[in-house]
Amino acid sequence: MKVVDTLLKIFFWTVMVLIYVPIAVMVAFSFNASRSKVVFEGFSLENYISLFSNERVWGSFYNSIWTALIVVVVSLILGILMAYGVTRYRPRGSTILDSLIMVPIIIPEIVEAVTLALFLSIVGIPLSPFTIIIGHVAFDAPLAYLILKARFQGWNREYEEAAMTLGADEIRTFVKVTIPLMMPAVLAAAFLTFIWSYDDFIKTFFTRPTGFDTLPVYIWTRVARGRVELDINALSTIIVLVAMIFTYLRMKLEEKQSTI
Amino acid sequence: MAAGADGVVSLLSRLADRIRRDRRLKTILFLSPGLITLAVFFFLPFVVSLLLSFDMLVRERVGNTFVWILSLQPNLEYYIKFFTSPGTSVSIMQSLYYASFTTIGTLLISFPMAYYMAFKLDRRRKNFVLFLIFLPFWVNFIIRVYAIRFLFHPDGIVSTTLMALGITDGPISIIGTDAAVLITMVYSYLIFMLLPIYGVVEKINKELIEAAYTLGATPFKTLVKVTLPLAKPGIIAGSLLVFIPAMGEFIIPIIVGGGKSYPIGRLIFDQFIKVSGIQGWALGSAAAMVYVGLIVIATYLYFRFVGREVTLI
Amino acid sequence: MSSRRDFLRVAVAGAAGLALGVGAGYMARQGEVDSLNERIRELASRAGVELEEEFNFYNWTWYANLELIDQWARENGIRLTIDHYESNDELVATLELGTVSYDLVVPSASYIPSLIEKGLIQKIDLDKIPNVEYIPENFMGREWDPDNEYTVIYSYGTTAIAYNEDKLGGDEITSWGDLFDVDNPDSIIRRHAGKVTMLEESIEVMDAAAIYLGYPIDTMDENQLQDIADLLIAQKPYLYGYASTEAIMENLPTGSLFYISQAWNGDIAGIIYESSETEVLMGIANPQIKYVVPEEGAVAWFDNFAIPANAKNIENAHAFINWFLDPVISAIHTMTVKYPFPAGIKYVPEILRNDPTIFVPESLYDKLYWTMLTPELEELWQRYWQQVQTA
Repeated sequence: MKVVDTLLKIFFWTVMVLIYVPIAVMVAFSFNASRSKVVFEGFSLENYISLFSNERVWGSFYNSIWTALIVVVVSLILGILMAYGVTRYRPRGSTILDSLIMVPIIIPEIVEAVTLALFLSIVGIPLSPFTIIIGHVAFDAPLAYLILKARFQGWNREYEEAAMTLGADEIRTFVKVTIPLMMPAVLAAAFLTFIWSYDDFIKTFFTRPTGFDTLPVYIWTRVARGRVELDINALSTIIVLVAMIFTYLRMKLEEKQSTI
Repeated sequence: MAAGADGVVSLLSRLADRIRRDRRLKTILFLSPGLITLAVFFFLPFVVSLLLSFDMLVRERVGNTFVWILSLQPNLEYYIKFFTSPGTSVSIMQSLYYASFTTIGTLLISFPMAYYMAFKLDRRRKNFVLFLIFLPFWVNFIIRVYAIRFLFHPDGIVSTTLMALGITDGPISIIGTDAAVLITMVYSYLIFMLLPIYGVVEKINKELIEAAYTLGATPFKTLVKVTLPLAKPGIIAGSLLVFIPAMGEFIIPIIVGGGKSYPIGRLIFDQFIKVSGIQGWALGSAAAMVYVGLIVIATYLYFRFVGREVTLI
Repeated sequence: MSSRRDFLRVAVAGAAGLALGVGAGYMARQGEVDSLNERIRELASRAGVELEEEFNFYNWTWYANLELIDQWARENGIRLTIDHYESNDELVATLELGTVSYDLVVPSASYIPSLIEKGLIQKIDLDKIPNVEYIPENFMGREWDPDNEYTVIYSYGTTAIAYNEDKLGGDEITSWGDLFDVDNPDSIIRRHAGKVTMLEESIEVMDAAAIYLGYPIDTMDENQLQDIADLLIAQKPYLYGYASTEAIMENLPTGSLFYISQAWNGDIAGIIYESSETEVLMGIANPQIKYVVPEEGAVAWFDNFAIPANAKNIENAHAFINWFLDPVISAIHTMTVKYPFPAGIKYVPEILRNDPTIFVPESLYDKLYWTMLTPELEELWQRYWQQVQTA
């Protein structure tokens, strides 16, 4: 048993280290003095300096963040409503409904992107940030639904019933009891939908208006013609750093709450 | 004024009352926003593509604008073209190969990892490790793939390290090979397998496993008879989350594979974009429909033979 | 007139020299550079017509001095948007979908007849572009648009072979046979197996094979197309792969991954010389990189200004073309990105002007092929390309 445990431990941490090798390379090269992305030729902060004057990178980063945030909010609202509706009221044909809602998840993204682009063209809807958002929601709302539904199915209705017998009406119960109980699943759904939207390239590429880059699209258009500047690495390093600080603070906060 | 406001209030409260009592109305209220959104921005586009693929949407020019006309004579031309094109089946096989390898590879790595996280770490460590796993995802997908590309470059770290250790004589190039594509794909999709599996394994009652031991089961038997069946919903969810996008993946083969392979995602993209105009749209649509059909069949068979309980996180 | 031109020639070179620093041999007096800057400013704000507030330009990446364009927009109070595409296919798809509107695009000549036929680009008013007079005659009234009703030349070049001399060990590349003669174990491709790339663009790759086989590069003959596909399939095992410009730019200078590449001349010029998207750089960065048009000939491409049918700011598009065609402006763009802009040829420093990698020498003209693409041809070719890709 001990041997198996040790092997397991070694395996786990080896994989964790391997996961971080490319990230480490990226961070290291953000400090590279030369333009080479393969050979390290000395330490420099040049990439960081050029990053701060690169308005287009920041613009695209900003676009990525705000569109993703709207996508998350809309997807969560739609997802919660659908998951609650399907699991709680079990309308006739709810299994079919359930399968239908999940179709966007199993359809390959390239197909969704192409069909949406053609549809928008044929109907004559001009592209705007709205079309990007709606394209993401069409995938992310079902994703949120899937995660939340699992939580709804698995839980105890007693709390809700207790609230109702204590005189709360259904809407109050939904807001005051159901939603807080769902929080862990909601957070998980929020995180996954955010990451998906923030990282999406193909769908955004087909639905973006003129002059509107998100970070993945910006990076791709740079990459495709041989000009990935290392300031992108610098930006990624900063993002990782910020994410680290945020998560650290959140964990500290949670610890404090749990000790109280 | 006051009377009007009263009227509105009473109307609203009557409406609220009705909603509260009418189960069907409630269902509609909860479901319609999501369903309408999906219908308009997912299913309708899909139907449009389906019509295009059967040559049932025709574009005609009227003056300076185009109008679309629905034709009721379906035509299999584009499907025939798709199936008779040389290489179509090879392209599908290539994608199947990439996707299967990625799914199995991520599964083999994820399960022991999830097991270790769930059973060998305390709560604080678990959170910390989860954080470590999520962190790389703040770095854009393309940047991560690029970092791997530089790693595998003949002047890159892997090659120079191997040379320094005397394992190889000259610089070796891992990029441009299928191995590089497969490694990068496993790397990129790992988290989509790991998280769902961890989600279910974490909820497995430890006492159950200990009970199996006290009843004299070997560790292997416990794994096969107790842990794996309990982890099944997570494995199913993970497999779908990995297999489907991996099947459509075409950016990784371009960046690290030297662009020598031609997965189905690339084929659809090319049909759509390289053959200009409605012909390309129809060809791409037909290819997409066949591809979707394959995915749906595969998913159905998978559910049928492996199980339907899906759990995400 | 001519004395002013001579002065400008010196001054443009001087600006380049300053950007480079001492030692480049282009030093000019500060006063001359100042007056050049003065002229750039003057040109920028001298549109002379009522302009719209916005200008949306859709261009290839790394294909103009963005700083200079920014300045033009600022001086005219125009809100500027520049988006980039990576292939003609992408541009055509965008125009076909029609869900976004650009005021000016730069398609390659091969695609222009079908764009005109489909009504996706609109007529250009040459009266609003007096600077067309600076375009050398052989770029006007060409086959794809005989009366320049719809288009005006932007840049041009060839698709041929680039290589890293240091890695070739004295071998010399002179013909497409060096890349295609896989049956001969002594051929370049066999001796440098795995170190050769073709472009990602299917049409360019198939054109190269067609030229080697002596077929027309717009062949619709399925036997010939099969020969082309077979040749490319035979070549494939000896390739590193099909490379993007990005991969070529990154790897050709060191040559460790591959060192012989089918490529576009301007991209290679951008490797040989230092190049930028915002400033004039004139140093030679990689003298070991060579570019050769094979003896069988090569594809010539011509990118042209065109105004999409759904453009909203048509005056701005005309004003922009006119500004761009000013010889001084064109020259600065060439000195920045190292692609040739014909209107500026006289003001480009000699070293660039005489470099066959940038400006295609006239002696090559009759070895260059140009073709028109139709959707039928694209579809047929795509079928054979698929055969190559999945082999």
